[in-house]
Amino acid sequence: MRTMHYQFPASRSPARRVHVGVVGSGDLEVLLEPGPAGGGGAAAHAQIRVRTSVEGFDEVWQATLERFFARTPVLGDWELNDAGATPALVTLRLQQAAEAAGSADTAESKEAS
Amino acid sequence: MTPATDAARDEAARALGAIAEGQSIDWEHVLHRHSFLELDALGRAEALLDDGTVRVLCGPFERLESPWLQPQDVTPQSDDGVVIARGTIGGTAVVIASIEQKFQGGGIGEVSGAKITQALRLAAASSRQGTPIPAVLLLETGGVRLQEANLGLNAVAEICSALLELRALAPVIGVVAGSVGSFGGVSIAAGLCTHVIITPEGRIGLNGAAVIEQEAGAEEFDSSDRSLIWAVDGGEQRRGTGLADTLVVDDVGELRDAVRDAVAAGPAAPGSYRSERLDVLDARLATIDPANPPEPRQLREMWGDSYAAPPAKPAVPSASSGAEPRPGASRSGSSMQPSERGRTWITALAAGTTPRPVIGSVLRADTDGTTYLAVVPDPHNPFYRARQGQVGLTECAALARQYREIAAADTHRGERRAIVAVVDLPSQAYGRIEEMAGLHQTIAAAVDATEAARVAGHPIVALVVGHALSGGFLTHGLQSSQILALDDPGVEIHAMHKQAAARITLRTVDQLDEFAKKIPPLSYNVRDWATLGFCDGLLEVANAESPTDDDVQTVAEAISGAVARARSGPVDLSNRLESADARKNRKASRTVRDTLSREWDEQPGQ
Repeated sequence: MRTMHYQFPASRSPARRVHVGVVGSGDLEVLLEPGPAGGGGAAAHAQIRVRTSVEGFDEVWQATLERFFARTPVLGDWELNDAGATPALVTLRLQQAAEAAGSADTAESKEAS
Repeated sequence: MTPATDAARDEAARALGAIAEGQSIDWEHVLHRHSFLELDALGRAEALLDDGTVRVLCGPFERLESPWLQPQDVTPQSDDGVVIARGTIGGTAVVIASIEQKFQGGGIGEVSGAKITQALRLAAASSRQGTPIPAVLLLETGGVRLQEANLGLNAVAEICSALLELRALAPVIGVVAGSVGSFGGVSIAAGLCTHVIITPEGRIGLNGAAVIEQEAGAEEFDSSDRSLIWAVDGGEQRRGTGLADTLVVDDVGELRDAVRDAVAAGPAAPGSYRSERLDVLDARLATIDPANPPEPRQLREMWGDSYAAPPAKPAVPSASSGAEPRPGASRSGSSMQPSERGRTWITALAAGTTPRPVIGSVLRADTDGTTYLAVVPDPHNPFYRARQGQVGLTECAALARQYREIAAADTHRGERRAIVAVVDLPSQAYGRIEEMAGLHQTIAAAVDATEAARVAGHPIVALVVGHALSGGFLTHGLQSSQILALDDPGVEIHAMHKQAAARITLRTVDQLDEFAKKIPPLSYNVRDWATLGFCDGLLEVANAESPTDDDVQTVAEAISGAVARARSGPVDLSNRLESADARKNRKASRTVRDTLSREWDEQPGQ
C-alpha cells in the first residue's frame, strides 16, 4: 500500500462534508471535509491524501488530480482510499463528491450530514 | 407457441417475479422493478427505512477504520464496511446493520464486527428500558475477514451472543439479497434470526463451494457448477426447506414490504425459533442416509418448507451405510491426522468416571458439579466429512441437546453445574451434504443452546488442548464465559488453516508468517492469540499429548479458578473487552463501543 500527499490551489469552499464510493475492487471512496473556517484567500489549497493498494502509478495520480483540481478548484481536506480504480473512475468519483458538496459561497443548502 | 416454450416462458417470468401462481404474466411489473442488490450498503439501509428517517452512527467521518489492514498493505475503508443506521420502519424505531459486500467481500473484521455487536447490544438495552428496537441485519458477506482472523472469529461469536440477547426482546430480521451471499460465521447469525428474508439470488451457507472444493475435492463439490451451488445454498432452496421465511424478488418495494411485515410481527414465542427446535433438527437429520444422500430438490419434499416435523420418514441405513461414497471421500485438504488430544484430556479430567459417547464423535463426562464435553474423531461416523474430529451436523445437534438438557436439569438447583468444553477440532465439516442440510443452522442450534446455558447461570469454560479452528471453534468453545488454552506448540487457534488462508488472501505461507509477527490476530502461535484480550489463562504443561499427573492437576486447578470467575462475572461476553490485553489489542473495539453508545440516543442535528 502506498500513501501520497498532494496539494493544489483551490478557491471554492464546499458547503458540507461528503462521502462517496467504496473501497471495492476497481473502485475508491472519497471523503471531503471543508477545511478550517476562514481558510479561503489567494494562498488557499486543497489538501489531498491518497492511499492506494496499487503501487507504481504516482505520476498518473499526479496528472489525474492536477487536471481535476484545475477544472474544479474545491477547497478542503480530501481523502481518497483506493482499490485500483482507473483514472476515469477517480475523476468521476471526485466530480461526484464536488457536486454533492455544493458551494458555501452561494446560498445553497447548509451542512446536511 | 408450443407447450414446451410456454412452460419455459412461464418459468422465466416466475424467476423474474412477473407471475404469481395461476396468474398471467405482468411484464410491466418487471420493467418497473428497482433493484435492491445493486445498491451499496448505505443505499440498502436507506431503501428499507421510512423516507427521511435515516441517521448513520459511527459513520465514515468518525474514521473508525480497521487498524490491521494498512500494515498488511490493504487499503482500509473509513467505516470498515458496515453501516449502522437508526430510523423507523412503518413508524417503529429500528436499527439496521448493513454490510458492504464490495469492501473485502463483506468480511467481518474487528471494527465492523464490533459495530454490529454494539448496535445489537444497545438495541437490547433500549428494549429492556421499554422501547423495543428491532434490528435488521443485511448479511452480505463471505464471513470472517481473514486478514483479521482471530479478532474476526471472536467478533462473530460476540455478534451471535448479542443477537440472542436482543432476539428475546425485539425481532431480529436477517436479509440476504445477494450477490455475495451470507457465508462463514455470519451464516450462523442468519440461523439465529427471528425471520430470514432472501431473494432467489441470495445464498446462505457455512462453507462456500470454493472452500469445500479446496478442502475435499471437486467430486465433493464442483465450485464451477453454478446451478449446483444455487440448488444447495440458493434462496429458493433455503425457503423451500424452511431455512428462510420469506422469498422475495430483487425489488426495493418487495423487500421493504417484507421487512416491514417482519418488524410488525414482533418477537417470536420462546422455544419456537429454528435454532431452538432440536426436535425438528434431529428428525430432519434422521431422514438423511449419508451413504445415499438425496438430491437438493428431493430435500424440499422430504423436509417441507416450514421448520416443523418433516414429512419424510427416518432413513433406513442401507447395507453400505457408514461406507465412503467413493474412495478418499473423507480425506481433508489440510492433510491433518486425527488427533486424540480431546479424548485424552476429557478422560484425564473426568478422573473416576469414563466419558460416555453421546454419539460416536461427542463424549460427555459428568463429575461432581461439572460436565465435560468433547468432539472427537470417529472413523465410523456415517457423515464421512466429520470423521477426523470436525464439527458436523450430528455433532452440533448432540452438543446442543447436552447444553439444553443440563440447563433444564439444573433449573431448580441452587448452584448450576459448570460445563467444560474440551476443544481439539480441526474445523467444521466441509461437505456437500452438510451444506445442503444447512450446517449453519445446526451450528446456530449449538450456539443458541450454549448461550442459553450461560445466561441461565452455568459457568462455561473452554479448554483448548489442540486445534480450535473456524466454525468448529465458533460451535464448541467461543461462546464460553472463560477460555483457557494449553501453552503448547500443538495448540492452534485460527479462522482457517494456514495453507487455505494463504491461498484466499493471495499470499504465500511465508508472507503470512511474516505478517503474523507484527499482527497478533493473524498469528497461529497460541501465545499471540493469548494477547487478544479473551484468553483467561495460558496453561503450561509438560506433555500436552500425554499429560502427566501434574499436568492434569495444573489444568484442573485452572478450570476451578475459571469456574469461580465465571460464577461471579457477567453472563454475557462483555468481559472480553475489559482485560488488560483487550485494552491494548482491542482498542478499536472499545472505541466503537464507546462511540456508538454516545451516538445512540443523540437527536438528529446535535
